[in-house]
Amino acid sequence: MSNTLRPYLAAVRSTLTAALTLEDFASQIVERHNKPEVEVGTSKEVLLNPLMISRNENEKVLIEPSINSIRLSIKIKQADEIERILCHKFTRFMMQRAENFVVLRRKPVKGYDISFLITNNHTNTMLKHKIVDFIIQFMEEVDKEISEMKLSLNARARVVAESYLLAFSS
Amino acid sequence: MDAFRKIDIDQYEEDVLLEEELYDADPRDPATVLTDTKSKVGAVRGSLSKGDIAGALNLVLDSPPYGPNVEEAKNLNLQTLVSILNSTKSTEIPAIVRALSPDAQDTLMKYLYKGMALPGWGDVSGSILLTWHEKLTEVAGTGCIVRVMTDRRTV
Amino acid sequence: MILLEPHNYIIQTTLIDKLAKPTSLDVQFVDFDGVRFHLSTPERKTSLLLSMSIRCWNELVQYGVHDVLKREYGAMVRAQPESDYNVSLDVDLEQFPPEGEERDTFIKNIALLKRHALAAPFELAFKAQKQLESSGSGQGEIMAMHYRDEEAIYIQASPDRVTVIFSTVFREETDRIFGKVFLQEFVDARRLPTIQSAPQVLYTTHEPPLEIRHVPGLVDSDDVGYVTFVLFPRHFAQAAVAASTISHIQLFRDYLHYHIKCSKAYMHSRMRFRVSEFQKVLNRAKTEVAVVDRKTASGRSMR
Repeated sequence: MSNTLRPYLAAVRSTLTAALTLEDFASQIVERHNKPEVEVGTSKEVLLNPLMISRNENEKVLIEPSINSIRLSIKIKQADEIERILCHKFTRFMMQRAENFVVLRRKPVKGYDISFLITNNHTNTMLKHKIVDFIIQFMEEVDKEISEMKLSLNARARVVAESYLLAFSS
Repeated sequence: MDAFRKIDIDQYEEDVLLEEELYDADPRDPATVLTDTKSKVGAVRGSLSKGDIAGALNLVLDSPPYGPNVEEAKNLNLQTLVSILNSTKSTEIPAIVRALSPDAQDTLMKYLYKGMALPGWGDVSGSILLTWHEKLTEVAGTGCIVRVMTDRRTV
Repeated sequence: MILLEPHNYIIQTTLIDKLAKPTSLDVQFVDFDGVRFHLSTPERKTSLLLSMSIRCWNELVQYGVHDVLKREYGAMVRAQPESDYNVSLDVDLEQFPPEGEERDTFIKNIALLKRHALAAPFELAFKAQKQLESSGSGQGEIMAMHYRDEEAIYIQASPDRVTVIFSTVFREETDRIFGKVFLQEFVDARRLPTIQSAPQVLYTTHEPPLEIRHVPGLVDSDDVGYVTFVLFPRHFAQAAVAASTISHIQLFRDYLHYHIKCSKAYMHSRMRFRVSEFQKVLNRAKTEVAVVDRKTASGRSMR
């Protein structure tokens, strides 16, 4: 693991742990509504200061805490066109399966690649530290996966081109 | 849809919660805050040149500008703080952080998050802020982060 | 399988089957680039009719496809092709050479129908190059084959070379980006010492190469790529080499797109695997709800 990745992930881990102190909270505006306040955004007093953790402009995490839910958005590193398209494909692939990933949001927050929405229901039924582990592992592996996919694409392209051109010489 | 249906009627409610009511405003007026902050810059430079990083940090973190209307002072203070952080050796960080008062630790954490929210601004460097963040969390714990989230007096 | 084969596998296997056991037959199938085949037994079980429809037939006729087919298939070519098709071959199973290598080549040659049809302009260009070389100057005409709706092959002979330009369309952004990676590798691969003798490859996106810039109807958009192959006399001086060059270069577009699709499929399977791994990690977070068997005072389970 590179030098700055470890403190980056450590910062996300500690911030997320701090933010995951959620409790049940019914809407103060609409009767019989109990919705993630961070998404509804109608009561200022239950929204906390959003925190951003960044490694550089292209890799950052935004954590928006509230009383009963937090929203975590990740911007994944994309060095070039290929990484951009691979990242887009990968996140889209995951978000289409959002019902399996209960904490995954179907759409990313604007300016980010993928968003998670963790509510008090999730923290009630799941182990908090394991949710944190999941997010951290996701961040760790998504970078790795994208660069591996890029490498494999390049490797295949090379083999394909060489074997095609080689056939002319034979 | 008729325009009147889209009017946010809640804002006309008498007991609507306003931004100002969430925290006590800074008693100083914006101009004083700015001059205070500017005067601190000089003092910090003095401490830094003597190599007294802990002293410089305490100066910056003491009564930082917060609330509305003091953007200039806020940015200036952040800049000063970042210059201190950048000139600190990473091996010295734990000792310095431990010497800070809990209040100063909280304020430092606020600034670290503010700095990270502005990647590429001024001479903010992500890796340095992350290193400080890690050491500070080790010393002050997650409670410190919770206090940053809950404190409405944003720096 | 990295390289694609130039012959049609269905024709080959069907003929082998029918030779062993003739039955009546009526099948339609397709090949690359929207080429359609129709294989039927209109009269007798042993007399097959193979028809082919190809999009750019009218252009191929100009470039002498009739001569090429006559040379390859002789009397088998029907004067009047089946309706809806461009060319028909009478394949009489009783007239096949005896079993052995000769028969295999014969079958293979029939399966190469599409390749032979598309070979006509290439052969013409190779001939034109020889003439230009002896006269020492001038340019051959640009021969265009619109073998797909939006894509075409352009062939032009010059005194010292034959230039083959493919225009290809990438329908999706992913295809476009993957295509760029592949084409870049085609350009770079020639640096390898073993491939030095391969034709030179150039590619441009959305701007047509100089040779065909004056051709009307070229689309200028981000989705279009132009690939230029420069064939030198060493690639077609000998008849055998020329034949293999033609078979090979015809399939370039299919080859490129085939591998782009393969890459996409591979990425997809990788993502599927990775996402299921993530799923497992997340499932670890779920707490087991302990099912406690509650009993009533009398000892019966509560339901």
